[in-house]
Amino acid sequence: MDIKGFIENFIEQFEDEPTCEITAESVFRDIDGWSSIVALSVMSMIDDEYDVQLNASEMRQANTIQELFDIVSAKQ
Amino acid sequence: MSLLGKHILVVGASSGMGRVFSRMISEEGGTLSVLARNEERLNATLSELSGEGHTKVVCDITNEDQVKEAVGQMSPLDGVVFCAGISEYVPVKFVSTEKIEKIFQTNYFGHISVLRMLLKKKLLNKGASLVFISSLSSVVGVPGTLMYASSKAAINSAVKVLASELAPQQMRVNAICPGIVKTEMLSATNLSEEQFAEQEKNYPLGLGTPEDVGYAVLYHLSDGSRWLTGNIMILDGGNSLQ
Repeated sequence: MDIKGFIENFIEQFEDEPTCEITAESVFRDIDGWSSIVALSVMSMIDDEYDVQLNASEMRQANTIQELFDIVSAKQ
Repeated sequence: MSLLGKHILVVGASSGMGRVFSRMISEEGGTLSVLARNEERLNATLSELSGEGHTKVVCDITNEDQVKEAVGQMSPLDGVVFCAGISEYVPVKFVSTEKIEKIFQTNYFGHISVLRMLLKKKLLNKGASLVFISSLSSVVGVPGTLMYASSKAAINSAVKVLASELAPQQMRVNAICPGIVKTEMLSATNLSEEQFAEQEKNYPLGLGTPEDVGYAVLYHLSDGSRWLTGNIMILDGGNSLQ
């Protein structure tokens, strides 16, 4: 799994593609359009694409996309 | 609301609400058969019960052979609480037939299979009360709950049909639809604390506790509710008022 593909999959979960540039260092809760349903979609995407089931507290530990990526990688 | 002399089966007795219901039923004098998959956790439920004569039944309700065997060993019942349940919050685009089936296996098919077997074996006494724990989500539209809410809506429909089918035998069938209740199942879900804090604002009386639902269960099991059947009770701290 690579961070570039992970960011692409992450961005796909937004209904409208975010207007600002999304990088590994983006704090995802600050991205325009972030909502609880996007959060659920991201968790489902991670389950489908990377076969990793995250619970809410694991999700909460991450602030940036890189941190989320690291948690997912560690669980693979 | 005495349950003295009543034999009550709790399906899904090992965790969350079922464990609390079992304890509350025993405190009102009921004799329990507590049923769940996990023996260790079932023992924990059993150790919390008041009074004597309670029985544990280890059974996976999604396995028909196990249900048949478990029911075959039971003695006649005056009431059943159906509260085994699993939940997963998934947006519609990530739902799959496989995931839906998994939820329905426990939340719907498993319960119906227990009930069918009890009826076939004539193990429900005249006047028995059957209580299904449904969910507020079955009658409102909460994002991400398609699989769980549909499984509970299926229960609501079953309750109506069962109530009319079983009324000639003086049996009563009802459902309770709680709003958000603080349980282990809830903390095991993929919803964050922030999301729950957000939800709590929509509950004028705050989020519920398993005991809040337990008192409604006691009422449904007692003779005090002898005229109530086919009812879907909304129990939500005022959530649906707005």
